[in-house]
Amino acid sequence: MASKLDARIPAGPLKDKWDLYKNSIKLVNPANKRKHTVLVVGTGLAGGSAAAALGELGYNVKAFCIQDSARRAHSIAAQGGINAAKNYPNDGDTIWRLFYDTIKGGDYRAREANVYRLAQVANNIIDQCVAQGVPFAREYGGLLDNRSFGGAQVSRTFYARGQTGQQLLLGAYQAMMRQVSAGTVTMFPRTEMLDLVVIDGRARGIITRDLVTGKIERHLGDAVLLATGGYGNVYYLSTNAKNSNVTAAWRCHRRGAYFSNPCFTQIHPTCIPVSGDYQSKLTLMSESLRNDGRVWVPKKPGDTRHPSQIPEGERDYFLERRYPSFGNLVPRDVASRNAKYVCDEGRGVGETQLAVYLDFADSIRRLGRNKIEERYGNLFEMYERITGENPYEVPMRIYPAVHYTMGGLWVDYGLQSTIPGLFVLGEANFSDHGANRLGASALMQGLADGYFVIPYSLGDYLGGTRIEAASTDHDAFEAAETDARQRIGKLLSVKGSRTVTEFHRDLGRIMWDHVGMSRTKDGLEQAVDAIAALRDEFWQNVLVPGEPTTYNKNLEFAGRIADFLELGELMARDALMREESCGGHFREEFQTEDGEAVRNDRDFTFVSAWEFTGDPRTSVLHKETLEFENVKLSTRSYA
Amino acid sequence: MLSRLYGSPVLKKVTTGLTGIFLTLFVLVHMTGNLAYFADDTGEAYNAYSHFLTHELGALFYLIEIGLLAIFLLHATIGIQIWLGKRAARPEAYAVYRTAGGASRQSLSSRSMIVTGVLLAVWTVFHLVTFKYGTYYETTLADGTVVRDIARLVDEVFGNPMYAFGYPAMMLLLAVHLRHGVWSALQSLGLVRPTASASTYLVGGLLGLAIGVGFLLLPIAIYFQWA
Amino acid sequence: MSHSMRIHLKVWRQAGPNAPGRFESYTVENANEHMSFLELLDVLNEQLIKEGKEPVEFDHDCREGICGSCGVVVDGVAHGPQPRTAVCQLHMRHYKSGDTITVEPWRAKAFPAIRDLVVDRSAFDRIMAAGGYVSVSTGNAPDANAIPISKVDADLAMDYASCIGCGACVAACPNASASLFTAAKISHLAKLPQGSPERKMRVRNMVEQMRKEGFGDCSNHAECEAVCPKGISISAIALMRREYLKAATS
Repeated sequence: MASKLDARIPAGPLKDKWDLYKNSIKLVNPANKRKHTVLVVGTGLAGGSAAAALGELGYNVKAFCIQDSARRAHSIAAQGGINAAKNYPNDGDTIWRLFYDTIKGGDYRAREANVYRLAQVANNIIDQCVAQGVPFAREYGGLLDNRSFGGAQVSRTFYARGQTGQQLLLGAYQAMMRQVSAGTVTMFPRTEMLDLVVIDGRARGIITRDLVTGKIERHLGDAVLLATGGYGNVYYLSTNAKNSNVTAAWRCHRRGAYFSNPCFTQIHPTCIPVSGDYQSKLTLMSESLRNDGRVWVPKKPGDTRHPSQIPEGERDYFLERRYPSFGNLVPRDVASRNAKYVCDEGRGVGETQLAVYLDFADSIRRLGRNKIEERYGNLFEMYERITGENPYEVPMRIYPAVHYTMGGLWVDYGLQSTIPGLFVLGEANFSDHGANRLGASALMQGLADGYFVIPYSLGDYLGGTRIEAASTDHDAFEAAETDARQRIGKLLSVKGSRTVTEFHRDLGRIMWDHVGMSRTKDGLEQAVDAIAALRDEFWQNVLVPGEPTTYNKNLEFAGRIADFLELGELMARDALMREESCGGHFREEFQTEDGEAVRNDRDFTFVSAWEFTGDPRTSVLHKETLEFENVKLSTRSYA
Repeated sequence: MLSRLYGSPVLKKVTTGLTGIFLTLFVLVHMTGNLAYFADDTGEAYNAYSHFLTHELGALFYLIEIGLLAIFLLHATIGIQIWLGKRAARPEAYAVYRTAGGASRQSLSSRSMIVTGVLLAVWTVFHLVTFKYGTYYETTLADGTVVRDIARLVDEVFGNPMYAFGYPAMMLLLAVHLRHGVWSALQSLGLVRPTASASTYLVGGLLGLAIGVGFLLLPIAIYFQWA
Repeated sequence: MSHSMRIHLKVWRQAGPNAPGRFESYTVENANEHMSFLELLDVLNEQLIKEGKEPVEFDHDCREGICGSCGVVVDGVAHGPQPRTAVCQLHMRHYKSGDTITVEPWRAKAFPAIRDLVVDRSAFDRIMAAGGYVSVSTGNAPDANAIPISKVDADLAMDYASCIGCGACVAACPNASASLFTAAKISHLAKLPQGSPERKMRVRNMVEQMRKEGFGDCSNHAECEAVCPKGISISAIALMRREYLKAATS
């Protein structure tokens, strides 16, 4: 069993591993590439770049996405930027430092070799994107501009206004459309993967549903690449797009792919707070706002006075008070947790009392309104558009929201899951961010996996594996399609009394309360039971309207919520198992007197990898022990 | 050549713009020429101007006429094509539709280009029949040259209230056509700087109005015997 | 404080691509000024499902104005009355209790209807595939700073590149023209040295594909700029025409 978790990290010094790997892999000769069909599921940064790069190499690529166009994947919403150790500002950046910051930022729960490779190829990403015409910000001299981001002491973040994700995604999308035009990539938009087909132990195909006609289809391939993003929507409210979901990954998990570190989720501190029950999603605002905004709440619980009526002496600038040296700039998890604590004390502000103030009054006095407008004008505008309040005059109200999930399907160094032939890229895998992701690293990982890693490791697999001829008539296809059809039939036939959204909202509440920013043994145990009970209720009482043969968003969502209801339990179990606090995972039992996270390196320096056994209740834990040969484990401190 | 032109959305638009500008310049010159009527000389200058155009330019006059006709036809046929294309591009109309305002240049003028255009085309034929091929009176200029007395025909025609008020109405339509047309032509040719978009739009509108008013003065003045 | 609002909706319902469409009237009693317009539709749909009716289908995803999935015509204006705002970020505080709002899908031959408010915008993908890229295969790139680009040009390129491909330009255009969408990509790439060797082919092929898809011609109404959630200027269309002429005359 444990042998399944061979990470296959190449031997040799850290900095040479990737080169040694590339030197030793099998290759597929150019004439043979077009004979290999590769199924790419998801067309965000990871999937789009992979489809483009593989198409360029001559593989026969089929790319699937649930959106109506590949250009809409949720990577598009990333605002801040993308890291690379180009060291253009000459401020001492190196590949080693980018590697080290990422490992440390992840609270020492990521694989050294993967992270180092990420830091190495990051420079190529910037080159590639510029060559594609991505309009990164520039200085007057015409060269690229960099800005600084949390968790680093150098400026290494490349950005395109507040729309970096959009521009990088469009770059990948355009590269992919070039291959569509060349005939190497075939696009299947509005198509959802419902199951993975495994033949003779290898991933050989997928079952899909056409989201317009409801048609169930079989697709055969020599390998399946999963780039389907994260599972933050298990919380119902998150900054993820409404269609982001875990279904494709979860279906693979059910077919034998191990799921790693599901409890590692990232909560972003500066989001626009919830305004009511109808709320459908949360909107993030760049954390750069914390550079000039001061976070506070009233000292007195239940103080409903207008913020301007609360005198200075009755305000609690709680981050500045607790963390005098970092103040408002503490890392994301610390800022988020503290906001939750003050709201738990009844000191939250706004109608729902689930918000804290982010006040720019001092900065406006010190720097002038123009300067603040120059720095944050578009963010202020967005805030006003959503809330109807003018943040130049009234302090912003912010609250943390689920933003990114570090966990995902387990993969080896070559991004291959525990099912041979199934590769997992980007946020859908667990590999590079450990227990916490640094800002501007998600884009980096997605593109690294797609442009620069998978073209090699997939070639190694296809070149070194004898893939038997098969057809979509194979029993495994038949069985998987029948499963998918039955599931859809079952969802529609329950005809209960509660809507899909109601179940999703209930699940979200359990997850947020017990598997959110701050977790306890009791709470997690309650969550495990509550989720299991909700899951049972779902299958007996869900009300899915409409037909299986038309565009039917509720039906799509129903299948996804059903999978979230299983994943949620696994997340709670993983969080329960991990008796330490690290990164985005904070167990209240494991903290210092000052409320700082206490990691347990002796017992928990491993990646959890859960094996599905037929029921989330009985999932089996496997462990991949993390070896740190190059960095020394130390405790984060921001006080 | 023509099929390439008609097959390209961009070339069509550029050609509409170019021909539109030529036609605008033509009517501007025509209007200026008309003002010769107001000289206090019982039509002498007006008739001399007419004679100059038709007899002293020689072959050039016919070249100009053929050129104008070609430009006119190009402008009109593309305009009709764009209108047909637009109808095909949205088979089902909105139940409720309005402009968003702001940067929009949509106006009664912009939406009625096909109507004003077709009416002006029909009217142009009528106009040529009335004057170019109308009654041929003769008169003698001060220098003894015998020329066509077009001023007399003009006096006659605009003595009729149908013409005296029909013509100004058509000239208002021309102003409406040019209200969008001048700006649109400049935009089509890429001559509008983004920062000067609003002022260009304003100037285009004023030019259209000036041309329209310049033309309608003549029939009104004749009918009320101001000149 | 938030007030409960009663909102009447007249929504276009159409069962499928070839089914006849019609307006249905609904009332949402418990709307709220902080809601987004799409959240209002969510509430309506929950209500409809509970009543055993089929919910109103509409495309949506990020709900923060960047993915370009959503888009409906609200009271005759694509994305509704707020300038530079996609309909997912249109909030109900711009309405008052008792208002009636008419909701229609994007209407254009090149955007065939799918169901209710959902249309097929794949024509945009085909226009992009016709040339909306720089032909640089992965791994071929020189150092990112090898070619300096003036900040002015880079900023302008970014202005054009910010297109979210929502299709509002087509929906609002009296001619159903896709000129702003096509021109935004051409102009983005025209402002940069990258991809310059293929610029002539790009503009020719993209314009030709736009025509083939059945979009109307541009009449410079500039309605597209007015409804564009990113405020992309029609100067892009002028630039596209210059690019085209350069390509056509050489």
